[in-house]
Amino acid sequence: MTINIENKNNDETVNSLNKDAESSRRNFIFGSVAAAGLSVAPGMMLYQTANARSLSDFSLKEGASSKVRWGMLVDTTKDVDWNKCVDACNKEHGLGNEKNSRDDQKTQYIRVVDVKNKGTGYSMSLPVMCQHCESAPCVDVCPTGASMKRPDGIVLVDRHRCIGCRYCMMACPYKARSFVHEVLTDQTENTPRGKGCVESCNMCVNRIDNGQEPACVEASGGAIIFGDLNDSESPISKILSKHGGKQIRADLKLNPGVHYQGI
Amino acid sequence: MKKLHFLEVEGNTKGFYTFLGLFGLISLIGVLAAYHMEHNGHWVTGMSNQVIWGTPHVFAIFLIVAASGALNIASISSVFAKTAYKPLARLSGILAISLLSGGLVVLLLDLGRPDRLIVAMTKFNFVSIFTWNILLYTGFMAIVGIYLWTMMDRPYNNLTKKAGMAAFIWRLILTTGTGSIFGFLVAREAYDSALLAPMFIIMSFSFGLAFFLLFLMGSYKYTQRDLGDYMVNRLKNLLGVFVAAVLYFVIVYHMTNLYSADHRDITQFILTSGGIYTFLFWVVQIALGSIVPLALLYGPTGNNRTMIGLASVLVILGGLAQLYIIIIGGQVYPMHLFPGMEVTSSFYDGVVASYAPSLPEFLLGMGGVGVTLLLATIAIAAMKFLPASLADEIADPHGK
Amino acid sequence: MWLHLNFNFGFNSSFVRKSLQKLPLTVAGLALIASLNTVNASQDGLGPKITLPENSEGKSCVLPSEQMRREHPDLLKHDRIQTLREGVRAKADDKALDGSLKQCVNCHAVKDESNKFVRIDNDQHFCVSCHKYAAVSIDCFQCHRDIPEGSGAFHALTNHKDVNYSNVVPGNYSLTVKDMANIAPEVNSDDN
Repeated sequence: MTINIENKNNDETVNSLNKDAESSRRNFIFGSVAAAGLSVAPGMMLYQTANARSLSDFSLKEGASSKVRWGMLVDTTKDVDWNKCVDACNKEHGLGNEKNSRDDQKTQYIRVVDVKNKGTGYSMSLPVMCQHCESAPCVDVCPTGASMKRPDGIVLVDRHRCIGCRYCMMACPYKARSFVHEVLTDQTENTPRGKGCVESCNMCVNRIDNGQEPACVEASGGAIIFGDLNDSESPISKILSKHGGKQIRADLKLNPGVHYQGI
Repeated sequence: MKKLHFLEVEGNTKGFYTFLGLFGLISLIGVLAAYHMEHNGHWVTGMSNQVIWGTPHVFAIFLIVAASGALNIASISSVFAKTAYKPLARLSGILAISLLSGGLVVLLLDLGRPDRLIVAMTKFNFVSIFTWNILLYTGFMAIVGIYLWTMMDRPYNNLTKKAGMAAFIWRLILTTGTGSIFGFLVAREAYDSALLAPMFIIMSFSFGLAFFLLFLMGSYKYTQRDLGDYMVNRLKNLLGVFVAAVLYFVIVYHMTNLYSADHRDITQFILTSGGIYTFLFWVVQIALGSIVPLALLYGPTGNNRTMIGLASVLVILGGLAQLYIIIIGGQVYPMHLFPGMEVTSSFYDGVVASYAPSLPEFLLGMGGVGVTLLLATIAIAAMKFLPASLADEIADPHGK
Repeated sequence: MWLHLNFNFGFNSSFVRKSLQKLPLTVAGLALIASLNTVNASQDGLGPKITLPENSEGKSCVLPSEQMRREHPDLLKHDRIQTLREGVRAKADDKALDGSLKQCVNCHAVKDESNKFVRIDNDQHFCVSCHKYAAVSIDCFQCHRDIPEGSGAFHALTNHKDVNYSNVVPGNYSLTVKDMANIAPEVNSDDN
């Protein structure tokens, strides 16, 4: 199986989007999805045209819509340095600014997991972040409703309500959540975070609402595809329906929004 | 049988103030430890993103579990009409409230944002077992309060049986709820067992009674009141039964887990290869916390008060060890992201997490014990909880 | 037999009891004084003044000052729920939400003598100056960024300036979000 990615410089994409935005507000087309033509086998193009559906369908006035279910598809067979995604995430959310915490106390939204089959010796790497489950255990166990799922499927923590009991961290099968163990300063504007609250990947909700892809998707060079799982015409749905994908710990029947290929 | 007579403990004595000061100091140190953790953040503790709940939770859950167990004596008297336990029913109620308060204080002070208690009290997510526990705990306080009222206020004595029944049912639900905090965590293999809830109930019987016995013997000793062998022997025999029952549940729990392949790893970890957790299991929980107390209670030393006291202390230590293994041992063992595969990452996937309890955590936990003892001590001085004498001729309904 | 509260601790509790009786009145009095002070603060020139953005002549905030003074907590609270929990990021007329803490900071952030933005631990910070005066503690900035995001340590790709709200801030005021963004100066120094 050969995989060709027609990779366009991501910064360029974003810049051009911003210019276009003057005329057609938020009528963004997802940058690298539009730019990347993905061929799974020689001569067999999965999709080439731009994502037909754009954010202009979803009004920011009405908020997140339950018609949409945002998801991601990670192709682990691609030769990608997943640490790029981690770096992009840390930069986007201003992570890594702990001064006192031990390594096992520091926040990670996304991490690279190396998996090895002891029997065959086969090994692989994949990025693991919050899997944005449909029936999220963290949302179920949260006593105050701080751990919540937006109508469009994004799972996040409402820090205004979080009391720091950490029950959601106990409940998460993916170890996707971190607790802020110390006073933080110098947060980024778009990701408020502070001592005593639990946090995790929020699928870059601020970027999504502004018509951009999550930071890790942008940094992955096409190895992670972002889109609407409810829209059968979206590239992510098309690939999933044609080539399938797996969810981590699918046996728990949580129906995560993050799918993987090659695991 | 002579008439039973309740009397407050004399508060204006040197001994009373000494105990008050001691328990107050322990509580104060606990509060200061909590302030230290809160002011700096949890980085000053041994807890991390891998071991999410630590030593404070071991103490808090012990106290909460013991609270419902301490009420057992009152339930036996009111619900099961065993008049022999009636003299102890009031103490049983107030100890239950004190233990629960102590446990909740620890749980609250360990929160990341304890200043947001009001949020926990106003925003409820009814899908969460935690929310139900908040309601169960406050409800327990109220019901036991009413129960005590019906016992201590003569015109309402006829309601005691009803209130006692309500409290009994409530405490069963409460302990089930506490056990379910862990039982509902599908992701963690150590907790994924239906046995946890009933095991927590039987644990509560044992821990609660051990604490009750110690408090009873201690308070009668230091107030120079008579405490006859009849009462003590009944209680210590009961304690032995509960300790044996916990042991039985522990055996069944681990045997079933060994039997099912997907729980075998974690069970083998606890039983054989878990280092400190294996040590705590065999030496502290099983040997010191179960076998030795059984020998002390039923052996030739069975009538020796010091040995009964020692047995109770050991049961409590064994209980703390048991909860430490369940809570912390269950967390340090890695979750299986990819079952059957070898997994590594920068976030400690696939490795046994390390946890060393820090001093502030321990002091906060002890602070909860301090609050419990402080409340109970004030209570027995303020109201008529303790019988003036429990000498055999008063306590034994069949005595001469 | 009625319940007897019999604390034999041997101290006279009459002082405590008298003080407790006066407690509600004292609290009410203090609250009244505090509220009067706050409301009248900048009219009589006694209290702290809110910093206005540079280049903002003739423009004003999302609501008249009088209302902002009283209602800004409600605005912030209401809109934080809308934004975070519901994903609403614009008003019905496509205009930006009133209660955006980010925009508050971008317009009102104060610089010190060395032309650096002052942080939340500084009494000159536009929130601190008033809140300290009114003795009302806020915890917003335990999580939220306290100064505008500039060219400092974190140059996020999603700087608000790229967000294309080409819309006017509601009301009769002509200050646009874009203006606000322009008003919020670039941080030349690093972020502290």
